[in-house]
Amino acid sequence: MYRYDEFDHAFVAERVAQFKDQVERRVSGDISEDAFKPLRLMNGVYLQLHAYMLRVAVPYGTLSPVQMRKLAHIARTYDRGYGHFTTRQNIQFNWPKLSDIPTILEELASVEMHAIQTSGNCIRNVTTDQFAGAAADEIADPRPYAEILRQWSSVHPEFSFLPRKFKIAVTGAPTDRAAIQVHDIGLQIVKNDDGDIGFKVYIGGGQGRTPMIAKKVRDFLPEADLLSYTTAIMRVYNLNGRRDNKYKARIKILVHETGLEELKSQIEAEWQHLKDTELKLPQNDIEAILTYFAAPKLADRAEGWGELAQWKKADQSFSNWVQQNVGPHQHPDYGTVTISLKPIGGVPGDATDAQMDLVADLAEEFGNDEIRVTHEQNLVFPHVAFADLEPLYRALKSNGLATGNVGLVTDIIACPGLDYCALANARSIPVAQEISNRFGNAERQKTIGELKIKISGCINACGHHHVGHIGILGVEKKGAELYQITLGGSADENTSVGKIMGPGFEPHEITDAIEKVVDTYLQLRKADDESFIEAYRRLGMEPFKTALYGEKTTA
Amino acid sequence: MAKIWTQKKGFLDDNAWGYLADEAKFLTLEEFVSTNDNNVALRIEPADDVILLADHLDRIGIIALNFPMFSDGRAFSHGALLRDRLKFKGDVRAFGHVLLDQVPLMLRCGISSFEVSDDATIKHLNAGHIPAISHHYQPSMNEPAKANSYSWRYMANISQ
Repeated sequence: MYRYDEFDHAFVAERVAQFKDQVERRVSGDISEDAFKPLRLMNGVYLQLHAYMLRVAVPYGTLSPVQMRKLAHIARTYDRGYGHFTTRQNIQFNWPKLSDIPTILEELASVEMHAIQTSGNCIRNVTTDQFAGAAADEIADPRPYAEILRQWSSVHPEFSFLPRKFKIAVTGAPTDRAAIQVHDIGLQIVKNDDGDIGFKVYIGGGQGRTPMIAKKVRDFLPEADLLSYTTAIMRVYNLNGRRDNKYKARIKILVHETGLEELKSQIEAEWQHLKDTELKLPQNDIEAILTYFAAPKLADRAEGWGELAQWKKADQSFSNWVQQNVGPHQHPDYGTVTISLKPIGGVPGDATDAQMDLVADLAEEFGNDEIRVTHEQNLVFPHVAFADLEPLYRALKSNGLATGNVGLVTDIIACPGLDYCALANARSIPVAQEISNRFGNAERQKTIGELKIKISGCINACGHHHVGHIGILGVEKKGAELYQITLGGSADENTSVGKIMGPGFEPHEITDAIEKVVDTYLQLRKADDESFIEAYRRLGMEPFKTALYGEKTTA
Repeated sequence: MAKIWTQKKGFLDDNAWGYLADEAKFLTLEEFVSTNDNNVALRIEPADDVILLADHLDRIGIIALNFPMFSDGRAFSHGALLRDRLKFKGDVRAFGHVLLDQVPLMLRCGISSFEVSDDATIKHLNAGHIPAISHHYQPSMNEPAKANSYSWRYMANISQ
């Protein structure tokens, strides 16, 4: 993984000192609360319902064991013993004292971490595929490009006061695990006929109150042009994005209102001026960054095949876990392992300090010192030998980390909701917990198969409800919480936005309603291997609507 | 009261162009393109297209970029375009809601003088306190030095 050089260390130290100075000037009254707000947000400090929240950047979701232990230490020392992994592959701490934050930032800097641009109207943490550098279907590793973008976007002088936040995602595989089509810029690595690496470029995807699927603006952008073309997009957006209404300020609205062809030609025109400037990436610099992400030397461990078969035979729950949580790796003796942070009835994405410490230890013992955070709020060891799966599973299991539910109905994404967030209209966590408990039986989950439930506590859609196979949106109606259900969303290479079913449900009704939708799917699916989303795409909304609201009556 | 600050000279005693905060007459873009005057003081609003100035640069004495709110970042791009695209060599001034923490970014976008009204900002600039970061991951318009590193890295030119 990438390691800081002297330049990076010096930069982060300067940024920490700069923020410390900003906090001091706020305390002395030299900065008003209004002017301070964007400054603290640009350093990941939010004011929530009950306390400040600090969101720490995990660049493209990659952590070392040393960094994970530091996060555990911060949770234990400055917070209430846990952290919350987010849909942006970051981690947030919900209860730090404002006065402790400069110290926390210094602690983070000591392990090459920071909270830069985890909030605010700037370019946010660049996200990518959690299996980058390991997945069997990968064309090229997206992390080096995410790292170049991370560096280039850090304290960018021209793009720190954009109309609105700006999110970039990169995928290196045709199966999109990074949800690139719901990002402001989505980059998909492709190879041209000559075998050169480049990007398919999408812009204008996003969720929030106006969900939109990104539009393709280029079929092949050579890798050398990554920064010049991105700069062109950013400049056109910075100058022309709407600033009169924050709900219409994302680039998706600019794409929609300007028209794709017109905007594309504006970007191209801008890029013509930039493509042969100092922003063009020299091949040796790209290669230098690639070196940091060289594939680990994985020893052949062919003995794992036989052992794995025996272990699976001996232990049904281990076998389940392998089936759900272990994915194909580039090396035939290895797999990718997802550590579910969705225990049945638990809070999606939360991990205790002890769990974080354990994950760090296990990554050293079995995981080639690498940990990833997924946008679905789980953790990943990207390189695990089959021969190590059983001992890894035992260790995880004894600490509540071996739930075999990845991709299943209880692997729920949920935003923090009204339990924490000042923007929320409704609670998300208790809804996720109740649904998880209802469907907790392993056999039942397996029967249902792949099903992604995503829950947001307000229209800002941090819980990605628009792209849930089943989405749940909490709204406030006459002072009470109400939950709307959407069906048919998806965030993969066939991205779609879910459609609202009908009137919402009260908190005590929502789990029953979800169960009815699931039961309807089970009755109507063509075969056991027709997934929920496939069945929905075949059947449409009607049978589900009828199950929930009864037959349509003609007026 | 408004004051004019530059990185080289600090606060200036004399200001030939007057203060925009005191309604000094700077021509708007529309007014400018319909005159043939020389040595013009010009003001650029966030929605203006500075590329329209391309054929008129020799008639301009000073360009003032309006930051009506510190959160409106369009003038950062105006500064970059004036310097990088149009190669404008004259004074580019920030006015409006100019606050201390934006000054380092404005300098990097090619802004060369600052009409400042905020008392705390005046106090800190006067004390030589510019909350800048000297390590840059992007090119800037105020001629930073190449860092001995990747092509996109620069060091602030502290001699300025």
